[in-house]
Amino acid sequence: MIEEGKFGVQETVWLMVSTIVTKVFYTSPAQVASLVGNVSWYMTLISTATAILGFTFIYLLLKRFPGWDIATIMKDTLGGFFGFVFSIALALYLLFLATNTLSEFTEVAKAYVFLLTPSSFILGVFVVGVLVMCILGLETQARFAKLAAYTMLTGFVLVLILGTENYDINRLFPILGYGADKILITGLARSSVYGEIVILAVIAPSLQGTYFVKKAGYISLILSGLLISLSVLAYSLSFPYYVAQEIVAPMYEMAELIDYGRFVQRVEPIFLFIWFFSSFISITALFYCFVSLYCKIFRIQDIRPIALGSALILFVSALFNMDLGVGAVQRIQNIRQYGWIPPFILPLIALIVGMLRKRGVRSHE
Amino acid sequence: MNSRLIPILMTVILAVLLAGCYDASEVDDITHVLAMGIDRGVSDKWRLTVQFSTIQDSPGGGEGGDGGGGGSGQSQGDYTHMTVDAPSFFAGLDMLNSSIPRELSFTHLGLIAISEDLAREGLMADFIAPLIRYKQIRGSTPLMVIKGSALDFIRENKPYIGTVLSKAMQISTRASMNIGFFGHTTLGDFYSDLKSTYRQPVVPIGALNDFKTFREDGPKWGDKYKDEGEYLAGQLPRYGVRKIEYWGTALFSGEKMLTELNGTETRALLMLRGEFKRGFFTVQDPKKPELIIPLDIRPKGKPKVRMSFKDGIPNIDITVPLKGTILAIQSGLHYEQDPLLSLLEKTFEKETKSEIDQLINKCKGLNLDVFKFGDVGARYFATIQEWEKYNWNSKFKDAKINTQVEFVIQRTGTRTKTSPIPNRQEE
Repeated sequence: MIEEGKFGVQETVWLMVSTIVTKVFYTSPAQVASLVGNVSWYMTLISTATAILGFTFIYLLLKRFPGWDIATIMKDTLGGFFGFVFSIALALYLLFLATNTLSEFTEVAKAYVFLLTPSSFILGVFVVGVLVMCILGLETQARFAKLAAYTMLTGFVLVLILGTENYDINRLFPILGYGADKILITGLARSSVYGEIVILAVIAPSLQGTYFVKKAGYISLILSGLLISLSVLAYSLSFPYYVAQEIVAPMYEMAELIDYGRFVQRVEPIFLFIWFFSSFISITALFYCFVSLYCKIFRIQDIRPIALGSALILFVSALFNMDLGVGAVQRIQNIRQYGWIPPFILPLIALIVGMLRKRGVRSHE
Repeated sequence: MNSRLIPILMTVILAVLLAGCYDASEVDDITHVLAMGIDRGVSDKWRLTVQFSTIQDSPGGGEGGDGGGGGSGQSQGDYTHMTVDAPSFFAGLDMLNSSIPRELSFTHLGLIAISEDLAREGLMADFIAPLIRYKQIRGSTPLMVIKGSALDFIRENKPYIGTVLSKAMQISTRASMNIGFFGHTTLGDFYSDLKSTYRQPVVPIGALNDFKTFREDGPKWGDKYKDEGEYLAGQLPRYGVRKIEYWGTALFSGEKMLTELNGTETRALLMLRGEFKRGFFTVQDPKKPELIIPLDIRPKGKPKVRMSFKDGIPNIDITVPLKGTILAIQSGLHYEQDPLLSLLEKTFEKETKSEIDQLINKCKGLNLDVFKFGDVGARYFATIQEWEKYNWNSKFKDAKINTQVEFVIQRTGTRTKTSPIPNRQEE
């Protein structure tokens, strides 16, 4: 069995929050703005509520198998073959998320910061960092996430406060954006934004029990929902809907517009710090969970050789994704419309089958 | 291999790799463009002028040679400028870079000056709006419409006080906050307003004053009253070294400049938009019209806009709250206390309301909502589709607008009362 260490709810919460929230720094807000207009800030709360419902299925599944990870649970409930298929699907989903997040990070970094640096260089350096962190282990990642969270939160709040000079409450109107139906449909589909919560099912044995998984899961989702809503609200206040949907990284441009005379301006390095760190934590967590799940499926005890090989896959697939050109980001967004199926539906099926087959035990907590 | 060795090794590799960066630029490899002027070209579509520092201490040391690709350069002391006719901004940039021994960087661009000719032809959208995509030019860069040639404007763009041009430009463009005779529009603002379904763009005007309106000889003015805000950009009756002056506002309908506002109209515009910060106003003394009372006026809050719709026509009620300080009382009358205090407040309210109403009527005639009323109008629509279908910018001309100015004198300066001058000869 792979030794992944033990850590508490706080570490888990910050690991999850960083992993989920990082998307708000990329192209997602602009994509959502083109779907629902200026109302993304409350549309995401519908997504949060949907994700909370989805996580409830994950929690109920874990509750039937205290101390087990998702791969073992899948195998037990669905049998060898289907358990394998479901677990592999989930693992590939995590790798897919890691790849897309890395591609998007690189794309945005090239658009705003590293204009001349080749994509392969940015990706390569990033993947090496991810690999180092992966080898250092899950506990290190969780503790690093907690350590970085305080600084990131401070910077995040600072950027939001400094941005107030550009806020205009009238930009939130018309209050229903492109229509209530679109808000509801997009809100439900975009619960995929919170799909990373399924990581908790992979790292569940590292927590002190199912109760803590439940606590960490709900707190992470609520906190992520609030932070995403707050960021999207800030950029909705800063840019009218017809401009917001054009911008590659609205949060970055929002930070760039901060200008208080000759004293406070050009504060986007604060944002860069938050953006880089949260992206790093997010991609590392997703990548690690893919590797961990893979090792658990194939009962591999040593994670390092798999991590090395997987890092190569991550690098190449992210590079390939970027080579697809400008359409890649749009394709990623389209795929995200259906991204809620693997994290929420697969555990739900496992839960239903487990209940029908009377697998698992009642929680002793 | 030791399990700890791999992370350590990788960390070292990372540190080495991160220290060298493709995007790194040595400070002395680049030169920062401080101001950019755009005119219609002769040899090609656009005439692009860039102004930058020669990074030389001695005045006159920076002599710009003839630029390549039809470009030309001219020394301005520690600063110089180069001009090129090019098919696009980026083509012009490469053409200029071919003749400058540094790479031009726009990350510290402090002003984009567009010639009025170009603005009136509706070409700003073609040239300016796409610049927003260029990473080096920030959305917060100030934008000005220049009466006459932008090239001539850049030629005259010198620090005059001190030696730092960037600081001089920043202070000049932000002077709007203290005088209100011109506004502050950034590239981002213009881009946003250009595409707006809520309002039309406005851009402050810059001009070169040839000092011809300053007459040294002639009959003396006498006691007639003239509002200082009635002048247009470039026509202030002044004389001095610096020809540049910022004054008034250019109003756009979409991408085309339609008209120009004078100083007084600009102040009214800023008050209605909630962007007026401060300004010295001159009021005719209600009791002695041949004399004046200067007031220091500031906003007392944001304008309060209420709106309703009747048969699809917007009814707008706007209240502009202002507060003021008495700066001087030429007549020596007791305007510091009632009843004269109230009289002065009412007089100012009436004058300001009249100026605001005149401006609104002028803009309604042109069907230009430059007052941000549409921002409030959007509140009355549930969805963006309904709002866009209504087409606010086409309905503004029919809007019924009631204005109100609430003015209160909060301070009387450093004097609580004015004692009369003894033995003063009354006419």
